[in-house]
Amino acid sequence: MLKIDQLEAGYGKVHVLHSISLHVPKGQVVTLIGSNGAGKTTTMRAISGMIKPTAGEITLNGRSIHGLESNQIAKLGIAHSPEGRRVFASMSVTDNLLLGAFPRLTGARPRGDVNADLEKAMELFPRLKERRQQLAGTLSGGEQQMLAMARAVMLNPDVILLDEPSMGLAPILVEEVFKIIARLKQEGMTMLLVEQFAAAALNVADYGYVLENGRISVHGPAHQLKTDPAVAASYLGGASSH
Amino acid sequence: MEILLQLIYSGIALGMIYAVIAFGYQLTFATSDTLNFGQGEALMLGALVGLSLVDTGGMNYWLAIPVVGAFGLIQGALVERVGVRPAIKLKSEFGWIMSTIALGIIFKNVAENIWGRDDLRFPSPLDESPIKLFGANVLPMELLVIGGALLMMLLIEFFNRKTIFGKAVVATFNDREAARLMGINTSLVITFSYALSSMTAAFAGILVAPLTLTGATMGSVLGLKAFAVAIIGGLTSGLGIVVGGILLGVAETTTGFYISTGYKDVPGLVLLLLVLAVRPAGLFGKSAIKKV
Amino acid sequence: MRQHSSSWAALAWVLAVLIPLAIQNPYYIHLVETIMIYSILLFGLDIVVGYTGQVSLGHAGLFGIGAYTAGVMFMKLSASVWLVLPCSIAVTALFGAILALPALRVSGPYLAMVTLAFGTIVQILINEMTFLTEGPLGIKISKPVMFGDKLTEREFYWVVCVMLGLALIFVHRLLRSHLGRAFEALKGSPVASDCMGVSVYRYKVYAFVISAGLAGLAGSLYAYSEQYISPNTYNFELTVLFLLAIIMGGRKTRSGAIIGATIIVMLPKLLDDIELFRWVATTAAVVIAAGAAVGLQKQWTHPKAVVIPVVGTLALAVFSYQLQNMTDWRLSIFGLMILFVVYYLQDGIVGFLSKLSPQGEVKMDSSATKIATQAAELSPGSHALGGEDHLSTSRSSNPVILNAQSVLMQFGGLKAINNVDLVIKRGEIHGLIGPNGSGKSTMMNVLTGIYQPTDGQIEFNAKTLVGRASSDIALSGIARTFQNVQLFGEMTVLQNVLVGLHHTFESPLWNVALHTPSYLREESEANTRAHALLEFVGLDSLALELAHNLPYGKQRLLEIARALALSPELLLLDEPAAGLTAPDIKELITYIRKIRDSGVTVILIEHHMDVVMGICDTVSVLDFGQKIAEGKPAEVQANEKVITAYLGGSTITA
Repeated sequence: MLKIDQLEAGYGKVHVLHSISLHVPKGQVVTLIGSNGAGKTTTMRAISGMIKPTAGEITLNGRSIHGLESNQIAKLGIAHSPEGRRVFASMSVTDNLLLGAFPRLTGARPRGDVNADLEKAMELFPRLKERRQQLAGTLSGGEQQMLAMARAVMLNPDVILLDEPSMGLAPILVEEVFKIIARLKQEGMTMLLVEQFAAAALNVADYGYVLENGRISVHGPAHQLKTDPAVAASYLGGASSH
Repeated sequence: MEILLQLIYSGIALGMIYAVIAFGYQLTFATSDTLNFGQGEALMLGALVGLSLVDTGGMNYWLAIPVVGAFGLIQGALVERVGVRPAIKLKSEFGWIMSTIALGIIFKNVAENIWGRDDLRFPSPLDESPIKLFGANVLPMELLVIGGALLMMLLIEFFNRKTIFGKAVVATFNDREAARLMGINTSLVITFSYALSSMTAAFAGILVAPLTLTGATMGSVLGLKAFAVAIIGGLTSGLGIVVGGILLGVAETTTGFYISTGYKDVPGLVLLLLVLAVRPAGLFGKSAIKKV
Repeated sequence: MRQHSSSWAALAWVLAVLIPLAIQNPYYIHLVETIMIYSILLFGLDIVVGYTGQVSLGHAGLFGIGAYTAGVMFMKLSASVWLVLPCSIAVTALFGAILALPALRVSGPYLAMVTLAFGTIVQILINEMTFLTEGPLGIKISKPVMFGDKLTEREFYWVVCVMLGLALIFVHRLLRSHLGRAFEALKGSPVASDCMGVSVYRYKVYAFVISAGLAGLAGSLYAYSEQYISPNTYNFELTVLFLLAIIMGGRKTRSGAIIGATIIVMLPKLLDDIELFRWVATTAAVVIAAGAAVGLQKQWTHPKAVVIPVVGTLALAVFSYQLQNMTDWRLSIFGLMILFVVYYLQDGIVGFLSKLSPQGEVKMDSSATKIATQAAELSPGSHALGGEDHLSTSRSSNPVILNAQSVLMQFGGLKAINNVDLVIKRGEIHGLIGPNGSGKSTMMNVLTGIYQPTDGQIEFNAKTLVGRASSDIALSGIARTFQNVQLFGEMTVLQNVLVGLHHTFESPLWNVALHTPSYLREESEANTRAHALLEFVGLDSLALELAHNLPYGKQRLLEIARALALSPELLLLDEPAAGLTAPDIKELITYIRKIRDSGVTVILIEHHMDVVMGICDTVSVLDFGQKIAEGKPAEVQANEKVITAYLGGSTITA
C-alpha cells in the first residue's frame, strides 16, 4: 500500500536519510524504530509532505506522492498523528475530531457518516468521550495523544502514520496507547508506527525496520527482531547485557 | 456634563471603528504571522468607493454596504497575493512589511488621483438630528456605527465557531502545520483572512464616512492607532479590542475638545508606545517560548 | 565587494568635491548637496536596517528633529554653526535613545509600528508647538557664518563635503570594528549573540542612537542648505523614501547609500519632466525586454520569472505616454519601485552589480590579512584556550563548578524539568543523556539564561545564575553551542570567532572612530587569538569563508571555536555529534578531550552513546524532566531504569 524507495531527505545542509526503503502492506502494522536522531520522524515528515525529499520515491497504492503538499497528501488518504501530538489547543475535543474529517466534510474524500464515525471514535477512546467539550489545550499528555490518534482515524484513511505516540507519557498511559493501537490493528487499519520504545512497538507490529544514523540497519518480522541483539546495540551502543 | 457625555458617545463610536480595524489585524496575524500595514487604506477605499456608489451612482446606502464589502474582499486578496504571499515564501519579514506599506502608498495615491486630494462630504443615510440619550446628544449614525461594528465582529465569531471552514481558520491559527495534515489548504486560509480583514476595514470605512470627512488621507493614522488597540486586545480577545478601542476613542474625543484638535492624535500614539514598552509581543504574539 | 564598495564611495566623494569647479549652476550644486546630506542620514539608517536588520519608520522624524534643533537654535539663540551642528547631533541622538530604550524590546512589525508612531508624533509636535517652532509657518535660516564670513553656496557645499567625508570615515571604521560585528551578529542569530556576551538589546539601542546622531547631523545641514524648514517635510513619505533608498541602493554598503540617495533625489525631478520620464521608461522597457530575451535564450532564467518585469516596464512606458504629468503619480511609482526591489532586487543595485563581477564573495581587507599571516606562525594549543584571561573571575579552587539544586522549569502545565539536582565537578566531562523530551536541552537553556527557572537555585562558582541575562552569564564564564547550529551565517568564519572575542574589547566609540593605538592593538590581538582558536579546530585555512558555506561538520566545529573565544570555565555542548559522520565524530572526541585538558569543564548532551560512554567522567540521565540515574558511564549503561527509559518495557536481549 505504502512504499518508500531509496528515500533521501534532510534539513538544509543536514542530510538525514540515506537511501531508505520500506514497505507497508495493506492491513499490517509496520514499525520503524531506532534511537534518537536516527531519522524516524524525518521519515514520517517526508511521507506526509511536511518536508520534501531530495531523492527517492514515495507511492501510495502505486500513485506517487513525492513532492505533494501535506494537505494534498491528507486528501489522498494518509493521516498523520504527528510527533508532539499537536492538537488544536483552543478548540474542543469534538471540534478537533471534526477537523480530522475535514476532507470528508468538504468533499475531497467520500463523506460517509461523519457523525457515526465521531461516536465510534468516542467508543474507541473512552477518555475522550468524557471530555467532549473540553478544550484540547487543557487535556493531559495522554489524553492529547488519544485525541491526535482519534483525529487521524476520523479521516477514514488508507494509512495512519503514528509518530512517537509514547513520547512523554507515563508507562501506564503508554500501555493504554498501545492497547488502542492493537485494537485499530484488529479493525484492519494499516499503520506505520515510529517509536523510540522498541519493545512495545515490536510487540504490536507485524514487521519492523531499525533505523540507525539515517540508514536501515536491520529489518524483519517483528517477533524475530524482538530477540535480535543488534537492535539493543543500536540504541545503547555496545552490548546491553543481562 | 452634557458635553462630556456627548464626547463619550462620539468616542465610543470612534473606538468601535478602531476595534474593527484592529480585528482585521488580529485575523491575519493569527493565521499568518503577518499584517497589512496598509489596513488604514483599506478603510479609506471602502469609504470612497461607497461615496461613489451612493453619491455619483445614486445607489441606496444599505445596498452599497455589501458591494463595498465585496470590494474589500477582493482588495484584501490582492494585497495578500501581491504583497504577502511572495514574502512568506521568501521567509522575509522585511519583505511583507515593506510591500504592504508600498501597496498602501499606491492605493492612497490612486485614491488621490481618482477622488482628488480634498476631503469630501458623505451624505448621511440617517436623520442628522441628534437623539437624546441620558440627557446628552448622540447622532443616529454614531449608534449605527456601534451597532454595525459589533454585529460584524459577532458574525465573524459565529462563522469561526459554527462552520467547518471557520474551524479550519482557527485550526490554522493554532498550528499551521498540523492544520495542513488535516487536509486544510493553509495558503487559501491566509488569503481568506486577508480578504476578510480588508472587508471589515472597508465596511468600517463606509460606516464611519458619514460621521467624518472622507478623503484619501483618512486612513493613514487610523491604521496606526488601531494597531495599538490590537495589541491591547490580544490575540483571541474580541472583548479586549472593543474595550481598548473605546478607551482610545474616548481619550481622543476628550483630548480634542479640552486640549486642542491638533493634539488629538497624540494619546493614541503615546498609548501605542507605552503598550509596547510595557507589554511587548507577549499580548499579541503566541507564547514566546524560544526553541533552541 | 564591501571593501571595494567603500572605495567606490570614496571615489564618489572626490567627484563630489570637484563638481563645483566644473559646474557653476547653483541648481545642480544644490541638488548634489541634497544628495550628500541624504547620504549621511542613509549611512545611519543602513546601520539599523542593513546591519541590525530592523525596520525603522521613524527616521524622517529624527531628520526633522535635527533640522528643527538647528532652526530653533538659529532663530532663538542666534547660535553659531560650531555650536549648532554638535547640538543637533546630541539632541537627535538623545531622542533616538528615548525612542530606542522602550522600542527596541520589540522587533519586526512591532518596531516598525512604534517608530512610525514616533515619527508621526514628532511631526504633530513640531506642527503644534508654535511657541518654539513657529508651527506651519516654518523657520527661515541663513547660511552659517564661519571664520567671520557668511558662507556662499559653494563654500557651504564644501562644508557639506567635509561632513560627508567625516561621516563616511566614521561609519566605515565603526562597521569594520567589533561594534560592526556585534550589529551583524545580532541580526544573524540573536540567541547566539546573547550567549556570546553581545547583548542584543543593548547593541540594538547603540545602533539606533548612532543612526539618530547621523540623522541629526544631516537634518541640521539640511536646514542650512534649504534655508527654510517646515513641518510637513518630515512625513511618512520621506521615511519610506529613505527606506527605498537603502534597499534599492544596497544594504550594508556605503556606495549603496549614495546610489540610493541619488535615486530618491533625482527621481522626483525625473517625474516632473514628463518628456524625460517617457524616454527613461521606454529605454528601461527595451533594456529589460532585451535582457529577458537573452536570459531566456541562454537559459539563465525561465518565462515565469521574467513575465512581470517585462510586462510591468512595458505597461509603465505605455502609461507614461497617456499622461500629461507624472507628478501626481509620484507616490505610486515609489510604491511600485519598493515592490520591485523587495522581490527582484533584494541585494540592491550594488548587490546586483557585484554578482555580475567575477570576484564573488567578500574579501578581507589587507590589514587583517597581514595579521592573519602573523598569527599563523604562532603555536596553537594552550595559547588559544584560555591562556590570557580577560574574564577576571578568579579561577577558584572550588571542586564544584556548578551547583544546581531542586531546579523546576514549568511551561504552563508542563514540568519540563522537575526537581533536578545537578552537581558538576571542576575539570570533568559530564554527560547529560535521556530520551527525547526528557529535559536536557531545556536544562541547557536554563543554565545559559534563555529560560528563567520557575524555582530552584543554580550557582556557578558560588554565584547565582538565576535572574541573570544570557549575555551576562556568558561573560561570567559559561559558553555553549546549539543543537540547531546558530552561526552568524553571513559573516566569515574568522568574524564568527571574533564575535566570541567581543568581550576582549574595551575601546569606546571614539577610539574606534579615531583608530587610536589602543584600539588597533585590541583588534590585532583579537585577530591573533581568533586565528589560534581556528587553528585548534583545524579551520584556519577556511578563515575567510562565509560561515553558511561550510559543510555541516565544520560548522559545528566553528561553533565550538566561537564558544571557546569566551575563555569559558564551563563549556556546554548541545548534541555536538548530531549529523556528523564517523570520522568527524572521532575528531570531535579528540577536541573535547583537549578542551578538558586545558582546564575547561564540559557538560555534554549527546545521543551518540559511543561518544558519551567514551569520554564522559560522569553521566546523568534525565527522563520526564527528572534525574533517574547518575554515575560512571558503565554503571549508567547497565542501570535497569536507564535501559527501561530508553528501550521501554522489557529489555531486548538475545
